Amino acid sequence: MTTTVKTKKLSLVQAVTDGLRTMLAEHEDVVLLGQDIGKNGGVFRATEGLFEQFGEDRVIDTPLAESGMIGTSIGLAMNGFRPVVEMQFFGFIYPGFNQLVTHATRIRARTLGRYHVPMVIRAPYGAGVRAPEIHSDSMEALFTHVPGLKVVVPSNPYDAKGLLIAAIEDPDPVLFLEPMKVYRAGRAEVPETKYTVEIGKAEKLSEGEDVTVLAWGAMVPTMKKAAKNAEKALGISCDVIDVRTLYPLDKETISESVQKTGRVVIVHEAHETGGVSGEIASLINDTSFLYLRSPIARVTGFDTPVPVFSLENDYLPNEQKIERAIEKVVRF
Amino acid sequence: MLVKEVKLHDIGEGMTEAEILRFFVQVGDEVKVDQPLVEVQTDKMTAELPSPAAGTVKEILAETGDVVEVGETLLTLERVGGEEAREDKEEAFVGSADEPAGNERTKSKTNTMRIPRTKRVLAAPYTRKLARDNNVDIEQLTGTGPAGRVTDEDVMSFVSKKEASSRQVDEPADSDRKFAAAAGVAEEIPFRGRRKAIAKKMAQSVYTIPHVTHFDEADVTDLLAVKASLKGSKPEKNASAAAFFIKALQLALAEFPIFNAKLDEENEVIRLEKGVHIGLATDTEEGLIVPVLRDVERKSILDIHHEMKELTLKAKENRLAASEMTGSTFTISNVGPLGSTGATPIINYPEVALMAFHKTKKMPVVRGENDEIAIRKMMNVSMTFDHRVADGAKAVAFTNRFIEYVENPNLLLVELV
Repeated sequence: MTTTVKTKKLSLVQAVTDGLRTMLAEHEDVVLLGQDIGKNGGVFRATEGLFEQFGEDRVIDTPLAESGMIGTSIGLAMNGFRPVVEMQFFGFIYPGFNQLVTHATRIRARTLGRYHVPMVIRAPYGAGVRAPEIHSDSMEALFTHVPGLKVVVPSNPYDAKGLLIAAIEDPDPVLFLEPMKVYRAGRAEVPETKYTVEIGKAEKLSEGEDVTVLAWGAMVPTMKKAAKNAEKALGISCDVIDVRTLYPLDKETISESVQKTGRVVIVHEAHETGGVSGEIASLINDTSFLYLRSPIARVTGFDTPVPVFSLENDYLPNEQKIERAIEKVVRF
Repeated sequence: MLVKEVKLHDIGEGMTEAEILRFFVQVGDEVKVDQPLVEVQTDKMTAELPSPAAGTVKEILAETGDVVEVGETLLTLERVGGEEAREDKEEAFVGSADEPAGNERTKSKTNTMRIPRTKRVLAAPYTRKLARDNNVDIEQLTGTGPAGRVTDEDVMSFVSKKEASSRQVDEPADSDRKFAAAAGVAEEIPFRGRRKAIAKKMAQSVYTIPHVTHFDEADVTDLLAVKASLKGSKPEKNASAAAFFIKALQLALAEFPIFNAKLDEENEVIRLEKGVHIGLATDTEEGLIVPVLRDVERKSILDIHHEMKELTLKAKENRLAASEMTGSTFTISNVGPLGSTGATPIINYPEVALMAFHKTKKMPVVRGENDEIAIRKMMNVSMTFDHRVADGAKAVAFTNRFIEYVENPNLLLVELV
């Protein structure tokens, strides 16, 4: 027996919209909050058409106040709603950081499990779109360090919808980071119906023998190209992994791969110091130390604020940098 | 000339080690008391260490950059004599007088020179695991990788070499197979313990003593008849043939004491022994062992028989006391029961002679005045002697006398003490 799943070709941002629409339709308690997400349809058009479809009580325009938006969402979540709040840019989340760290992520522990906070914070993140200062931040590591918060980063339309639905259904706060550089970088078949992609599971994109290469978000397509180049030019075969969930990390997939290849390159556009790559390296140290054939390599952004767009390409990891790192760990 | 070790002592606040910044002196330099010798740095301070004595720098035992522990020797001074007045100061300097008593840690370090730190080869964790899984001590390998790192290949080539060398023993190459069929090693037996002791003794004997073996034969028909009659009339009084032989030997030795002797080459003297103590070469599971039957001249044939039986049993059960294995003056090897008809036995060093008794068998023998052929029970004997001590004629005469006793048991009777 075969079931035909109806799909449509969507970009990543359209898949987000589709996921939101699916959940708004299915659950009355799902509400969207954010600046200009209603009548305007959002700065990236992620909520386009939802205001018209579900009305102002479900798709709520908020004032320019991230602390208030997150705080309000916490209150809604504790009172039976499933709020999905949009940060216009991830770099704008800092005023709401306090609400997130001191309340959203602690309510379950504070109330000994009597209350929980089933909310999602959506935030377009990352550099490479020639945005002004603060608009390009990739500060996921600030949040993976906070207990009680899941951090999810899709890299493609299918995962975007599936992970978003899983995030909305999750009983606890989830930070949902949307790589704006690949928001509209191609379309992919996305099921029209509701489906989930499990939080906490990485995805193996291609099987290889020599080196494990890991990335997430907008770095995934770059990583894939670099791995392909390494294979073609150097004959190095790469186990390519889209990490997808930064907290909790997929220990099994990562360690299994590293134990096979013995070599690791971790790619992220966030600053190097304190980046999630450090945590992954630590996980590998814990699970796979004896399998390592060379030091774990990282290809990351620099320890500077993300520069203005004229220097943006120098800041970001690119195919060449990743390929060099792959070669280095294999030739060690 | 006195040599004084200049050691690193605790220069304050319980320091345990210091880094050598530089030496102010070189080997051969003359130094005065209190002259700075070396500058060291601890985690708290930099200090110059003054010389505890006047003298010449003999050796410098540490290098700039070394981290030296308290109590290690930094350099040695060769002192001109008559420096007694400096002694107190010096004691203070070497760090025993100003150490609290019972500071064992420091004291035990005294006189040690630069404790060797564990050798560390460079290798990736995977390589180390590979080595461990293959039972290779990675610290023994020489790395061929960058910066001398041990690579996976280094480990595996070591393993394959090891396997190859063990294969050479187990399964020889095709060309060697024919030879190996005859000489192939099926098992390796450790050459230790009893076996090695025997080997040492034999080599010592054979390399020291010029051996000559004289062969002869004895007609033991009558002796065996005596035994047979004893067996018939008084079985409990029956003795083994060997007991008779020993008695016969003892009587022969009384006439030829040169074969009951020891040569002391060093003192250039041949010592004739008073008693006749017969060594009994005995085959045991672990190899040859020689218990000693003492004072044969004072024992009856039956005593000899019983004692020999007991000693042989003890030997086989490994119960002999050390005193029961030493002091023999002449040794016999009764291989007859095993079936031998001749041998060139090796003397039980430092004795002078040894006799082996071989298999007794029925032989046609020409006898009597009428040259009649009779069937007699004949036994070969091999008499080995030290040609330094005695000559062939004497050995023949001695053997003849022995044979005479064996062939005429009545003679044994009349010689009874």
